[in-house]
Amino acid sequence: MNGWLLAATVGLAGGLGAALWGVATGPLRRRVVAQNLSTALACPSLLLLSQAYNRPSYVDLGLVLALLGPVGTLVFARLLADELAEDPPRAWGLTWTVAGLGAAAVTALCVATGPSRAMVKLLVIGALLISGNAIASRALSGGFRGVRGG
Amino acid sequence: MTPRTALLAAAELLGWWVALALLWLVLISTVDPLELAVGAGSALVGALAARAARRAVTGS
Repeated sequence: MNGWLLAATVGLAGGLGAALWGVATGPLRRRVVAQNLSTALACPSLLLLSQAYNRPSYVDLGLVLALLGPVGTLVFARLLADELAEDPPRAWGLTWTVAGLGAAAVTALCVATGPSRAMVKLLVIGALLISGNAIASRALSGGFRGVRGG
Repeated sequence: MTPRTALLAAAELLGWWVALALLWLVLISTVDPLELAVGAGSALVGALAARAARRAVTGS
């Protein structure tokens, strides 16, 4: 058990567990936010697991999750647009907290990796993760009403 | 297509190609000639698609 593995376990068990609980219970506005944050929590955990087990291929899982997680949320935002317009979710504090956790994990991994192509890859994944979740959160709270008919 | 628009189109394609090829170079695990060849080809296809998508969105 090293520090990376501990951090990944806390992220998966605590963060993802809480997110899954949020998805399964409560009103719709809470469920969609928890669904959005679940991928934002799982992605940094996969990156940490990659470092913990020294298996670079795990980073690709994080990359796929950082890309497809926000896309999945956008599908929910589109399909549930009418329900969400009546009771729009507002969870910017939680969204930016999770984004900060992701940024902290990516920063720590970059320091451990050192300047190399692998570090640039981590930075790309981090940028995708944070920007994707910011866009998905904005879509959930009705920030893109002009394109709803789209 | 005038020479000016052809030049602009070529410049845009080259810009997309450079960006996508760099992305490929960052994401692969081992750098060898085969990876570079596949990456260059994929980046060309991606550059054509990116320009088509950009024109579809902006309408020009």
